Amino acid sequence: MSADVSDLSLVRRVQSGDKGAFDALVRKYQHKLVKLVMRYVRNPAEAEDIAQEAFIKAYRALPQFRGDSAFYTWLYRIAINTAKNAVVSRDRSPIEYNIDRNDATEESYDMQGRMKDSETPEGLVLTDEIRRTVNAAIEALPEDLKTAIVLRELDGLSYEEIAAAMDCPVGTVRSRIFRAREAIDHRLREVFEGGLGRTEDLG
Amino acid sequence: MNEELDSQLSAMFDNELPAVECELLARRLSRDEELRGRWSRYAAIGATIRAEGGERLNAELARRVSVAISAEPVVVAEPVRPPSRRFASRLWAPVGGVAVAASVAAAAILWVRFESPPDQVLAQSVPGTASGSNVGQSADSAASYVVPKSIARRSIVPSTQLANYVVAHSEFSSPVNRRNLLSALMASESGTAGAPSGSEEPTEDVNDDAKSPQ
Repeated sequence: MSADVSDLSLVRRVQSGDKGAFDALVRKYQHKLVKLVMRYVRNPAEAEDIAQEAFIKAYRALPQFRGDSAFYTWLYRIAINTAKNAVVSRDRSPIEYNIDRNDATEESYDMQGRMKDSETPEGLVLTDEIRRTVNAAIEALPEDLKTAIVLRELDGLSYEEIAAAMDCPVGTVRSRIFRAREAIDHRLREVFEGGLGRTEDLG
Repeated sequence: MNEELDSQLSAMFDNELPAVECELLARRLSRDEELRGRWSRYAAIGATIRAEGGERLNAELARRVSVAISAEPVVVAEPVRPPSRRFASRLWAPVGGVAVAASVAAAAILWVRFESPPDQVLAQSVPGTASGSNVGQSADSAASYVVPKSIARRSIVPSTQLANYVVAHSEFSSPVNRRNLLSALMASESGTAGAPSGSEEPTEDVNDDAKSPQ
């Protein structure tokens, strides 16, 4: 199985003019990309802005992507360069200490606008809730499902490698990982639908 | 949502779905918001397990990117030439080489045929009349300038054999060898069929042949 086959299917769709396919790629890699950018900037809001810029640059450059490397490797390089450039330009830009009193109110509004959901108390609660729910759901999984999903998500093993490690057919691995995800996702949806009613925020 | 579809989605998320199924599911994923919501949650689950989410597992990043992308012009990549076509062209290359060799050989044959008949026709239809190079020859030598059929045949037959040889062996020979062989062919042609129009040698042949019956 090619390591990048599903990403490539989505990339080909984007290259034929399908923006929805790019959305799927963004949803898949947004967390990874933000974590990557966080190596360069401490501020989560800034990291998100840089990740957003990297995604937009990637979208514009996608017609030139030939699939010689994995999509994420390509995206990774774009994000690294974007982050480095952002850090350089931020360091060059003069810091303004004198904020006019009249501007201060405007500035604070702007800062509020820049604060994303996770920086608001509600956002933090939700993020915390997601973490606790996912972790609790994983703990509640039968051992074979838990092992399969952890080997996949944490250790990044392929289905074939997991099958070898767990001494079972590849089809069983696929089924176990799917059932683990379903069980966790079921709990996750309950959180959003019941508590905060913001299922769409995950997107 | 059926279980099989969800199972496929999970495998696709892990890059473990066969390419053909990926194509179909990618098409559906790009249009089905509910499916993309599930896809997002799979990403969040993975991020949580890897402690990747940082401060914002509920980030609106995807939505912000989506809004920004909607303002962008649609990107369309130029069609990429499939590798199989390059492979096919490699397969056809030797055949193309044979075709080129054959067409060169055929051109050489046609050239020989085009060059030789005027002499024959001229010599046969106007016996005793000097043609081209034979201007100024004596009446005797001009009268003997009747090109026997054997001469004409001799000028063509070796070319045909050589041409066949070139065609038959061009597949196995290098382009350089093929070119040398063709040069030899052309040289031999100019020494036989091509000569009557500008060389004295055929006259001698003709005279010799013409002398023999006498």
